[in-house]
Order: sequence, then C-alpha cells, then structure tokens
Amino acid sequence: MKFTAEQIIDKSAKWVISFFIASAGLWLLAAALLAYCAAAKLTDPFFLSTFEFFTYGKVKIAQANAFVYGWGGNSIFAVSIWIIARLAQAELRGRFLLIASGIIWNVGITLGLMGILDGHMNAHEMLEMPREIWPLLFISYSVIASFIIVTHRSRSKHETIAPQWFILASLLWFPALFIIAWNGLEINPARGTLQAVLSMWFGQSLIWLWLTPFALGVAYYLIPAITGRPIDKYYLAIFGFWCIALLAPWSVVHHLEGGPVPMWIPAIGTVMSIAMIFPIAVASTNFHATAFKDIDIVWNNLPLRFVIFGTLSYTISSYIGVVFSLPAVAKLTQFSIINEFHFNQRVYGFFSMIVFGAVYHMLPRITGKDIPVGAKSFHFWTSALGVLMLLLAYLIGGLTHGVLAQQPSLDWASSVIASIRPYFLITQIAFVILGFSQLVFVINIWKVLFPNPFQFLNNSSNDSAKNAVA
Amino acid sequence: MNNIFKFSIGILSALAFAWLAFVIGARKQFGDLEPTSSILEDNGSIPEGAELFPKQIAGIAQQGAKEYISLGCTTCHTQQVRLEDSGFDVERGWGKRPSVARDYIFHEDITIGNTRVGPDLANIGLRSYSKEWLHQHLFEPQSLISESICPPSPFLYEEKDFDTNNAIKLKEDQIDKPRFIVPSLRANRIVSYLESLKQDYELPEMSFIQQDEEIIETSELSTVSESKNSDSNLSKLPTWLASQIASGKEIYMKAAPGGGLCFTCHQPTGLGLPGQFPPLAGSDWVLGDKERLIKISMHGLMGEIEVNGVKYNNVMAPPGIPPGSLTDQQIADVLTYIRNDWGNSASSVSPAEVANIRSTVKDRAPMQMWTSAELKSN
Amino acid sequence: MSDKNKMAPAKFDGMKDDDMVEIHSNLGREKHPPTKGFLVAPLIFVFVFGCLIFVCSIQLAHSTNSFQVHPPQEIVELTEEEKEALRLERKLDSGKKIFTSKCASCHQPNGLGIATQYPPLAGSEWVSANPELITKIILKGLKGEITVKGEKYGTSPAANMVAVPINDREIANVSTYVRNAWGNSASEVFESDVADIRRNTAGQNEQWIGEALQSEYLSGASTE
Repeated sequence: MKFTAEQIIDKSAKWVISFFIASAGLWLLAAALLAYCAAAKLTDPFFLSTFEFFTYGKVKIAQANAFVYGWGGNSIFAVSIWIIARLAQAELRGRFLLIASGIIWNVGITLGLMGILDGHMNAHEMLEMPREIWPLLFISYSVIASFIIVTHRSRSKHETIAPQWFILASLLWFPALFIIAWNGLEINPARGTLQAVLSMWFGQSLIWLWLTPFALGVAYYLIPAITGRPIDKYYLAIFGFWCIALLAPWSVVHHLEGGPVPMWIPAIGTVMSIAMIFPIAVASTNFHATAFKDIDIVWNNLPLRFVIFGTLSYTISSYIGVVFSLPAVAKLTQFSIINEFHFNQRVYGFFSMIVFGAVYHMLPRITGKDIPVGAKSFHFWTSALGVLMLLLAYLIGGLTHGVLAQQPSLDWASSVIASIRPYFLITQIAFVILGFSQLVFVINIWKVLFPNPFQFLNNSSNDSAKNAVA
Repeated sequence: MNNIFKFSIGILSALAFAWLAFVIGARKQFGDLEPTSSILEDNGSIPEGAELFPKQIAGIAQQGAKEYISLGCTTCHTQQVRLEDSGFDVERGWGKRPSVARDYIFHEDITIGNTRVGPDLANIGLRSYSKEWLHQHLFEPQSLISESICPPSPFLYEEKDFDTNNAIKLKEDQIDKPRFIVPSLRANRIVSYLESLKQDYELPEMSFIQQDEEIIETSELSTVSESKNSDSNLSKLPTWLASQIASGKEIYMKAAPGGGLCFTCHQPTGLGLPGQFPPLAGSDWVLGDKERLIKISMHGLMGEIEVNGVKYNNVMAPPGIPPGSLTDQQIADVLTYIRNDWGNSASSVSPAEVANIRSTVKDRAPMQMWTSAELKSN
Repeated sequence: MSDKNKMAPAKFDGMKDDDMVEIHSNLGREKHPPTKGFLVAPLIFVFVFGCLIFVCSIQLAHSTNSFQVHPPQEIVELTEEEKEALRLERKLDSGKKIFTSKCASCHQPNGLGIATQYPPLAGSEWVSANPELITKIILKGLKGEITVKGEKYGTSPAANMVAVPINDREIANVSTYVRNAWGNSASEVFESDVADIRRNTAGQNEQWIGEALQSEYLSGASTE
C-alpha cells in the first residue's frame, strides 16, 4: 500500500502535534476556569475573597497568561508544525526535541502561573510571570521554532506563499520581541515611563505580531485548502503582509494617549493604527472574496465555518479598533472595559476560532478518525453564542463606562460602576457558556487523539496507516 | 521572500524600525530625566537651594509598591492623570495637574495601568482619606462604599472582637457588634504607599491647572480658633464618630456648594451673634431633642425662640447651598459636629434617623420654616 | 493543469498542498489577468491607500508636538499692561468670591447692608478711607456705636462685627473688591500691607472700638 506524501508527513508529525494539541486543550480549560473566577468576582466581590491566591488582579492576569502562552503557544506550535510541514511537503524533523521543548514550555508556564498566584507578579504587560522562568520559555520556544524552520528549509519547491510568510513571520517575531522586552525591562531596565512604553509595546505586539499573523496565515492556508479555490486577488497579499510588518509594531502604542510620555509616541501609534485599515482590508478581501464564492461550503464545512467566523470577527473588530484609537474617542474609552473587548475579540473571536477550525481540519487527517459533525456543530454554536455575548457586553458596557466616567459629578462607585455591573453579569454568563463550549472541544479532540487511553501500553504503531485519509 | 535568511532579515528590520524609535530613540529622549525645581531660572538652570521634585518615596512605601503589584491592583487602577485635551481626569478632581514623565522617575516598577474599573490613584495621597479609611477600604471596601466591586483583602488583617493596640474600629451604621481589625505589616506597607502617591508639586513642564471655582475651604483659613475637640482629642473617640465630626465640621465651615454656610451666622466659635443669632455652644436646643434639630436643618426656623433663657427673633434659612440641599448624611454629620464641639458632648445623629424624620415631613414645602410652637408640639 | 480549471472546482474536495503552492506562486508572479471588471479592484485599493496616507500625514503633523519630550504648554505673550490688568481682574474675582461667602450674609450681596443692623458698604466712607481701616476691621472686628453715611449702627452692644478668620491674601483681595464695587473707587489693598498690620496688632485680642477708629481715620482728614 503506497502512502501519499500527505500521509507520510502526517504520520511523522502525529505524536508531536497530538502532544501540543492535548496540552493546548488543557490550557484552554484552565484559562476558562480562571476566566470564570475573574468574571464572578466582578459580580460578587466576596467570591473566594478570603483566599489570597485568588485576588481578582491575580486571577485576571493568570487567565490572560494561561490563554496567550498556554493555549496560544501550544496551538501555534501544533498548527504551525503541520502547515509548514505540509506546505514544505517535508517530514517533520527533531520530533523528540520538539516534545521535550514542549514539555519545558508547559512546565515553564505552570511555574509562571503559580508564581503569579503566589504573589510574585511583575508589572509588565503579558510578562507578569516571574522573570526566573523566562529563560525556560525562550529556550524551549527557540528549539521549536528552529525545527519548524529546518522543516521549512527542506522543502522541494523554492517559492513560498502567503500562509508560509505569515506563519514564519509570527514564529520569528516572538523571540525578537521577547529579547527586546527582556533587555529593556529586566536586564537593563529603563527608568520611568519609558518602562511603561516598552511594556505596552511588548504586550500589544504579542497579540498583533504573534497571534494575529499566525491566525492570518492559517486562514490563508485553510480557505484554499477547503474550498479548492485559490485566494482571490492574491497579488495583494504581499502588500498586506509587508504593511502589517511595517505598521503594526508602531500602531500598538496608541493606548498611551494623553499619558505621561512624550506626545509623539501615542500620536504615531494612532496614525499607524489608522493606516492599518489597508492591510485589514486586504486580508478581508482575500479571505471573504474567496470563501463567499460558494456560501454552501462555508456553511457545510465545519472547520471553514470556524475560520470564516474568525476572519469576519477580525475584520469587523479591527475596524472598530481603529475607531477607538482616534483621540476623540479614546478620551472616553481609553481606560474603560473596551480594552477587554479588544483583547477578547483578538484571542477568542479571532485567534481561537481559527485554531478550532484548523484543529478540526487537521486532526482527522493525522489520526485517521473523524469527529462527528454534530459535536463540532454544537461546539460552534455554543462558542459563537458565548463570544458574541461576551463581545457585545464589553462593547456596550465599555461605551457606557467611558461616557459615564467622564462626567465629574457622577460618583464613581454608585453611578459609574453600578451602571456597568449588569454587563459584568452578562460576561459571567458568557464565560460559563464559553467554558462549556471549550469543554466540548476538548472532549471532541481527546476522543480522537486518545480513543483508547490505555492502548499505548500495547504499543501498536500501524493505526494511522490503516485509516489514512488524504 | 523565498530565502528564509533574507526573509528573516526583512521582517526583523521592519520590527527594528519601531524598536529604534520606541526603545532607542525614546530612551535617548526621556530615559535620563532628573528631579528639577518647580521654576527654572531664565537661562534654564535650577535656582540655588531650590527644592527638587519629584522626591524619593519612603522605604515602607517602596515595599508597599511591590505589594500593590503582587496583589494585581494594576488590573483595575491606573496611576496617570491625562492631559486636559485627552481626558477628563483633572476635571474629575483626580489631580491638580496632568502627570508627566518626570513624575515617575523614582518608581521602580511603573504601574500607570491601562484600565479603570476603579478610580485613578495617581493622587490618592492628596484626597482626604485617613489612614483608618484606607485600611478599612483595603479590608472590606463594601463596608465603606456599598456599591464597590473592589475585592476585599481580609487576609491582610486580623479580625478581632475587642479593641487592642493598633486596632481600627470599622465604621458601621448600626453598631450592634463592633468589629476591629489589626493591620498586618503588608497592609501598613500598602497604605503607606497609597498615602505617598501624590503629584502635588509643579514642574517647569507642567503647572497646576487653574480650576474655575476657587473653593475657599477651612484648610486655607489660617486663624481658625482651636476648639476643645482638636484633632488630637478626636483620636480618642471611636473612629466612626471622629470621622463624622470631622465631616460635620467641614460642612459647618464651608461656604461653597456642598457646604452648610453655618459659621457665617453662628460663627466658627459657636457663639452666634448676641441678639441676632443664637449660640450653639452650650445651647439647650443643640444638646436637646434631635428631632427638632433635624427638622430645622431641613426647612429652617423663624419667629421668636428662647435659647438658654434668652429670646431671639430672626429668620434662619435651612442650611446648605442652595438652602435645604444637605443630604441625610450631611445633616447627620453637621448635627453630630455641633453636638460635640465647643464643650458640647451629646449623642451623635445617624443618617437613618434623619431619613426617618424626612419621611414624616415629606409633604412640607421646602422653604416652609418651622416655628417654635410647631416644634414644641411635635 | 490550467489556472482556469482551478478557479472553478468540480466538487468540494479541497486543494492539495503542492497544488496550492504552485498555483499561488504562479498567481504571485503573474501580472493580474485582464478579465473584465477586474481592474476596478486594484484602483479602489490604490485610492484607499492614497487617502490613508494623506489623512495619516496630516494627523501625524498635527499631533506629535514636534517630537518634544514635554507636553505643549500654551505660552501667551502679554504686554505689561495686559498682565497687570489680568492680575487685578483675578484679584477682584477672588475678592468677590470671598465676599459672597463671608460677608454677604450680613452686608448683603448688593453692599447695602440692613438698616440699623449691618452698615452698607456701597458708597461708604469707611470703605473708601485709608486701606488700613478696612484691613483692621476685618482682622479684629468692630464693636460700639459708629456712624456710616449719616446713620448710626452698632447702638446695641449685641450688634458687633467679629473678626473674619481669613489669611492676608484673602483680606487684600476682598478689601480691594469691596473698595471697587457698587460704584466705589478706591486704591488697591496689598497683601504685604495687610501682613504688616497683622504683625503690628498681633497682641490685640479685642475688637476695635468703633469710635476710636472713626476718629482716627474719618474725622475730616480722609486719606486715600
């Protein structure tokens, strides 16, 4: 029985990807639990308040880190490995080291989160984990990224296409950002609000230059792969890519509007985030013009449904984000819970949905077992409901928050906060729904990854060969 | 694009542009700010002997800063007063002026924050919160501000049933079972840190914003006579009573919106004006029935009355600016104050009592002043 | 494998990876195919891009404060006269506020006082006399009978004026205001003079006797 190239690649990557996806799923559940705790504390401040481990600030930050590094990191590794290997038409190299690095990455984050909850948090955005574990993260990441690049370099076709650019760029940007932040915040710390600029630059760039390009790359791969059509107006993709590369690192500091930094920093940030309209429009055109040529397939194919939900969410929310970066609007909403809208939109509405689509597309091919459509559909609807509830609550709540906060005569607690408490309740409910949907996701993938949990004791190695799917 | 090395150089260069600007360039521009005096000489130098700002904060406050970060307070609180064009912070009374980069040079970890679920804290040391208030807020914010969603931190305190050294009595409306808390070292650090947060100095690049209303407050008066219940005596009273008296005194002495305008007639000494305005010091009206006092505070008083055997015949508008605008809490506070200053010592008045009376007279027209006969008969 | 076939898939079985790489590489290399209506799209993008550059440049030029470290401070250049006028205006504004809060309850906001009880300030010779007079009265108060604009005040011992507990700057401000309101026109009162008088009368705890002040400052030899 002759195996196709895809089958060989999938087989070589099976254990590595399974490991990363399984870890990612567990981190997703951990983050969901922490998210629920945080949201519950906003509606009832006395929830778990006697435990010092679970003050609201710690839980919220732990959730953000678990989500971005744990779920985000592991799923980026899993999907990047697969897509790069597939597009390179090359077998995955260095499997043992990849899994070892993955274990170190997960151990590092676990220790980091324990450090946060134990009261050793830093004041740096998205780098709150204690500095002692940063080397672990950096080294394990570097090893994983190296092997992905090695796999990429052993490709047969010389030319590269959009998915590869975006995914490789995101892989390479993370260590660069990390080193810059590490140097500027810990090794050679900047004095005064320069630290705040760098901290914000890193925290936001992590989302814009690590999670976002990766997800865009995945969308550039999955949409043609599933629909069978090439990307519409593909020649624009290269412009879109370089615009993101040049503009995004500048645009992330617009949140410092009016702050204790020289005015040019948030001014440039605002201008560049307005300029980001162009690459957002390019990406949106590429994705939606291609996919909506056949509405049927978007609807019927679950992975594609997830991906298109993600890309639509990306487009709409990025445009909303541009509006909110304008100084006239930022005056009101800069410090409101609109920030939660932005963060959750990026990680839940866009990144997570695209990863769900990628995982559902990838796993049947790797493991040879399919996931029932009903289960995937259920996951989709609960996710969509949860995400929309969450985002609407934060959007409307954030606008209310901002508008009320600016009236000096309104007392803070009894007027401003009291008016947005109903929205906190809605987010709490949304997190319950999302947590439930994520549980469904994890169950779906575990059933496929480890159908007979104890079978590995028997060590049979020809499972995937028997049920190979192209 | 196709060669991984060229590609890497390309994308890292794209990142490097931003890095050069925000890390290298910005560092050159404002990474080396030093403290300076409020006003510079014409040639830009610091005058000799001038006081330099900002100042280093005390050691215990530095430790408090670390506690602040470790508890995750930056998740909900910012510590920056925005420029006037960019925000409403100065208008809201969160600072005398916008914050500038120089204000933060002695902060080891910058905690300017990015979300305000709670109010801005850059100048919390300037707002009139006592140590006890801050401790109580840290222990259980909801006991002071019922709608607050700030998480309680009971693990920083030891709760007791009895008063001991260093204990703080929790202020409550109904004192059925008094609660005391003893702050831990960590709590003291945090409160010290919060008290140290103030940007109350001017810098050459940013001076105080002129507020439209110049409110003349008691704190600016230089020769207010020391009353018997001076601040040092206040500390011997239960905290909740002391704070009610302090608040009432502020209302009594305040002649701006939110105040009572009482002292203009009854005088800061509580002696009134013989023949015109009755005294409050030692007055049988003040030390007597609370209901009468509460009613006067709502609607005023007119006609002939006898105070300490002396007759007065005048018109008193209900206290407040505009007249009759004091809230239940304010009436309770100011009545508690007049019943406990200038040698007076009588029971306090609670907002609940005021609310009770208010509900019985809610049909009375706002400026329908009471007469002595009406008040006696009730 | 012409491109036309790949544009319209026969069935939804997706695209193989090596096909994907090949097709998209070709697309990337080729100039855009000249199909009808296709040229409109890139023009729209060029237009959007151009507008963005324009808008962004303007915004950038406007809001960076010339890349300075410190926030912009409005420096208004005033002539000496304008500065002086501004200073006086601020002093009178402050004085008016102090008057409203401390004095108006008795002397009335219109400066007319209440007959037989509180003397008027409008047109009063006491107000326009030597600035020392008004300063001394505010500092220590006044008791005893006085004559203001021909009328007697303070006939009963009960009607006295108590000292007003405000600082030197505030005394200077409110005195200057009173001396220049309601048709009054007299010289400015300076904080340093107030401070001198305060120092000189530091030992005095009693209110001034009205008659004594009246004879000192108002008996014919009125000085400005």
